[in-house]
Amino acid sequence: MMADKTFILRIKRQAAPQERVVWEEFEIRYRPHLNIITCLRDIAEKPITRAGDGTTPISYDANCLEEICGACAMLINGYPRQACSALVDNLEKPIRLEPLTKFPLIRDLQVDRSIMFENLKRMKCWVPIDGTYAIGPGPRMSPEQQQIGYPMARCITCGNCLEICPKVNDHTQFVGAAIINQVRLFNMHPTGNMHARERLEAMMGPGGIQDCDNAMNCVKVCPKSIPLTESNNEINRQVLKHAVWDWLNFSEGPTERDEEWKRLGIQK
Amino acid sequence: MPGTASKPDSSYFWDKLHSLSGIIPIGAFLAEHFWSNSYVLVSPERYNSTAAGLEQIPWRIPVEFLFIWLPIVFHGCYGLDIWWRGKANVLGHPWMSNWMYVLQRWTGIVLFAYIIWHVWIERFATHGRSTFAGVAHDFANPYYTAFYVIGVLAASFHLGNGLFNFCCKWGIAVTPRAQRAAGFFGAFVGVIFSVAGLLIVAGFVYNWHPFSGYL
Ligand code: HEM
Ligand code: SF4
Ligand code: SF4
Ligand code: FES
Repeated sequence: MMADKTFILRIKRQAAPQERVVWEEFEIRYRPHLNIITCLRDIAEKPITRAGDGTTPISYDANCLEEICGACAMLINGYPRQACSALVDNLEKPIRLEPLTKFPLIRDLQVDRSIMFENLKRMKCWVPIDGTYAIGPGPRMSPEQQQIGYPMARCITCGNCLEICPKVNDHTQFVGAAIINQVRLFNMHPTGNMHARERLEAMMGPGGIQDCDNAMNCVKVCPKSIPLTESNNEINRQVLKHAVWDWLNFSEGPTERDEEWKRLGIQK
Repeated sequence: MPGTASKPDSSYFWDKLHSLSGIIPIGAFLAEHFWSNSYVLVSPERYNSTAAGLEQIPWRIPVEFLFIWLPIVFHGCYGLDIWWRGKANVLGHPWMSNWMYVLQRWTGIVLFAYIIWHVWIERFATHGRSTFAGVAHDFANPYYTAFYVIGVLAASFHLGNGLFNFCCKWGIAVTPRAQRAAGFFGAFVGVIFSVAGLLIVAGFVYNWHPFSGYL
């Protein structure tokens, strides 16, 4: 019988952040339309390296398997992308897998991307709707606005745009293009726009829009084809307008309305 | 690693001031500088009288200080800090815009060294008096000429690509089409400055005055 066609997967492994880095090679049986997650499952079924040594299954995150949850982001041949939509047929062999480098490592290919959620909160990327009483329906969104907003709303918080950005690193606190894009999305939403000022204020703070230096890498790796440089520049424009306006009016810090909120003890 | 600090800081202000200072006054000064030096293409006499005219402006030292030295020192030092805070990855991902990002930093570093040398030999070593004969003497040294060519090209690229960055970072060019238009505008400025600068160098090196026919 003819031997099965196989290919090699090289994986950078680390049992824990403080543990030693080891590269392991696996020989995977080729089938048409394989994706990287399937390869990792093959290894989990039979965790034996190419040299024949027993090892542990690879740790990785994945959930939806259809490029919609963002969990499976990793470096595949050095390029940040989703493992579930990376097809073996289209990849140069041997295939090299590494964890994202801009997020704290948990184990093997698994990283902790919760910083993005923290930054979404810090930049106020939500629409506050709950009050102590019903405040009625919000304004409607025109079909035109929906068309512009929808592509931005496709973000799956995978972190690829942060991974590839030269300005996201230990020397800055830059929140990255994904978060800037959400600020733009929520500022254009008719209800979200009621809090646009607070988002722009946050965007001028540490790690805000000023850290983007226009390397335009983010837009090239976004699996959802979000026009990220357009979002960066649009937020640049909104923040600048806001900043110049405030400066001309000597208004800094809390406005009267913020004072009122504070007096009433309301946490925004 | 992206951080989550929430204390307000002034980096927005300083980053924007850095960005603006590259255009006004530094970029504007570069345009004036190339213009004034272009008089060498008319004749050595016109070059000398233009230089003398600039040397005799009122308030020379405060004007030079406020509009040239201070902005360049600020822009240069802050630029080195920005460079240091970035982590280039162009080798693994050689996209054109990524190269532009890296070249903006490398030309900045070249300019830092170049400007110190240039100001030293042409401003302080001459006691603030520039003449055609003096500059042509410097150009007799091929190493000097080479450094001049590098400086001209680095400054032209840095200004052209800087204009493109400025349009993006001040929200002037937002949509991809506008970004492309801003890119062409920056490239156009970069090419014009390169050509003008190289002609000036040629004027000194070859004692070449193509516009002397006007006299
Ligand atoms: C003294 C040495 C210099 C250094 C170290 C330097 C460094 C830098 C750096 C790192 C940037 C990128 C900033 C960013 O992307 O946020 C930049 C931008 C810029 N520089 Fe310079 N530069 C120098 C001199 C100059 C000169 C002589 C000019 C005038 C031609 C100039 C004009 C600009 C412009 C127009 C920008 C674009 C501003 C922006 O990014 O919005 N620079 N510089
Ligand atoms: S355009 Fe801005 S956010 Fe995108 S990769 Fe470049 S620096 Fe990062
Ligand atoms: S913007 Fe794109 S690359 Fe960035 S997190 Fe969202 S989906 Fe991922
Ligand atoms: S598993 Fe959800 S994006 Fe890959």
